[in-house]
Amino acid sequence: MRIQQLKSQAISRAKRLYVATMMQVVGRALQAISQEDNEIQRELSAFPENFTFAMKVLPAGPGLMLRKAADGSFIFLSDSDGEADLTIYIKHIEHAFRMLSFQESTATAFANDRMVVDGDISSAVRMVRALNRLEAFILPKLVAEMAIKEYPSITLPEKLIQGARIYLRVATNFLSEQRKAA
Amino acid sequence: MSKGYYEFFCPVKVIAGEAALEHIPFELSALGVSNPLMITDKGVRGAGLSDYVITACSEGGVEMASIFDDVPPDSSTEVVRNIAAVYREQGADSIIAVGGGSVIDTAKAVNILVSEGGDNLAKYSGAGVLKRPLKPFFVIPTTAGTGSEVTSVAVIADRKKGVKLPFGSPFLLPNAAIIDPRMTLTLPAHITAATAMDALTHAVEAYTCMAKNPLSDAYAFSAVKKISEHLLEVMENPKDPQGRLELAQASTMAGIAFSNSMVGLVHALGHALGVICHLPHGMCMSLFLPYVLEYNLRKGKIREPLAELLLPLAGARVYANTPPEQRARRAVAAIRELRDELFERCKLPRTLKETGKVSLDLLPKIADVAMDDGSIIFNPAEADFEEVLEVLKSAWDDM
Ligand SMILES: [Fe+2]
Repeated sequence: MRIQQLKSQAISRAKRLYVATMMQVVGRALQAISQEDNEIQRELSAFPENFTFAMKVLPAGPGLMLRKAADGSFIFLSDSDGEADLTIYIKHIEHAFRMLSFQESTATAFANDRMVVDGDISSAVRMVRALNRLEAFILPKLVAEMAIKEYPSITLPEKLIQGARIYLRVATNFLSEQRKAA
Repeated sequence: MSKGYYEFFCPVKVIAGEAALEHIPFELSALGVSNPLMITDKGVRGAGLSDYVITACSEGGVEMASIFDDVPPDSSTEVVRNIAAVYREQGADSIIAVGGGSVIDTAKAVNILVSEGGDNLAKYSGAGVLKRPLKPFFVIPTTAGTGSEVTSVAVIADRKKGVKLPFGSPFLLPNAAIIDPRMTLTLPAHITAATAMDALTHAVEAYTCMAKNPLSDAYAFSAVKKISEHLLEVMENPKDPQGRLELAQASTMAGIAFSNSMVGLVHALGHALGVICHLPHGMCMSLFLPYVLEYNLRKGKIREPLAELLLPLAGARVYANTPPEQRARRAVAAIRELRDELFERCKLPRTLKETGKVSLDLLPKIADVAMDDGSIIFNPAEADFEEVLEVLKSAWDDM
């Protein structure tokens, strides 16, 4: 095999691994933020209990799935197989990589036809807003301003606190999962 | 900002101009069909517009398999099923829709049933469910506004379930759109004005929203130019076929633009207002266009594209005489001036208050519904509830 081929294979694998990992991070971050943030709770309030949201890379993943709990927050599901009420399909792993490495915001990815929605369009509208807000929370302000349509007016301390909380929750969530697995 | 990536698709053959209807027999035979079902409504039939089509076909050796002229303004799955039954009974092999938005959407849905078989329209609802081409389908628009002749979507109400079924597929696009000046010649002044404002909004939103791209820009820019040059002229002289043709073409061009780059907050608000207060779509567009542009401009999102639109909106002299940093504002002013002229000529309302159909306490509800509308995704500024409400308040009485 030529060295060039090996190199591009390695890049493809790394990209896929990155996307798979980020799907987990975004899924867990959504769970955490949905317990904390009023704005996101307001977006989710329109969904019925047990509503499931999925984001999947075509043709066969990776992806993430969340289910709305009785208290109105999202629960990250470790198994993303199966039909969801609303699925955002990303057309190619490269498009997912750009989005999840924040080179292209969710809204821009929509405008650029990188994704297709399976489900009710007004549910999709709410989820895109929730994802935009999530990006603002988990990214440093400078990067976020490039990645999203608008940086929400969160004062720095609030953002720091919220962001830290979310990171913390994501981290502890990861830890407890690993403990379960071990 | 240059667009990093875009898609553009419009496979519809546009047949436009004088004696365009007379091309239908040839176009039918080119697709190997000869027995079309005409779908239209009572208004179109009563105005004698369908007769132009029937005569043009008959002189070219094509008789209609049947004529269904009872499409209501708000069509339903039941109407679609009935028309599909007529199509099958009469052994039709193609569809000719003659009318506005409702007739065209109905005909698209009929085409699904008669091509795929069965009576269950709901089965095909959603995006990309259809997987193969449908029967030959021609559209002859009788209003210059919706652009439905070049869009790949349709919405049909399911009355029993109380829901609206959306359909989206490239296979819904007609094989041809026939734009003949005779079809819009008798359109009353207030409908001419409102539908032209719908077309103008399609073009302006296509040009200023997030999915704008070089190809849709070209269509949108030219559509704006045609509407600003010819709308008032047609209002003065409604029987001018040349002016009518310009507006009809502009509507189709704006339709091609927005079906490829989508619309934004004007449409989100307009859909909400239409549902809640039962006002015609074109009027809703006219009511919101300047206020949404001012909002997007305030948010620093559309200065450049809006400034560019001053040229087609107000002409070369105004454009050249306006300092670059004032052009975007001047473009909004030009749209306001157009609305004032239309108000004078046919009382097309400029504010929610002027409609006499909207009350101030409905604004939060309208904002709420607009927040859930699909068009809001593509608005360049990420509007939250409070901001949408602000826009509604400025649209209330222009204060
Ligand atoms: Fe429209």
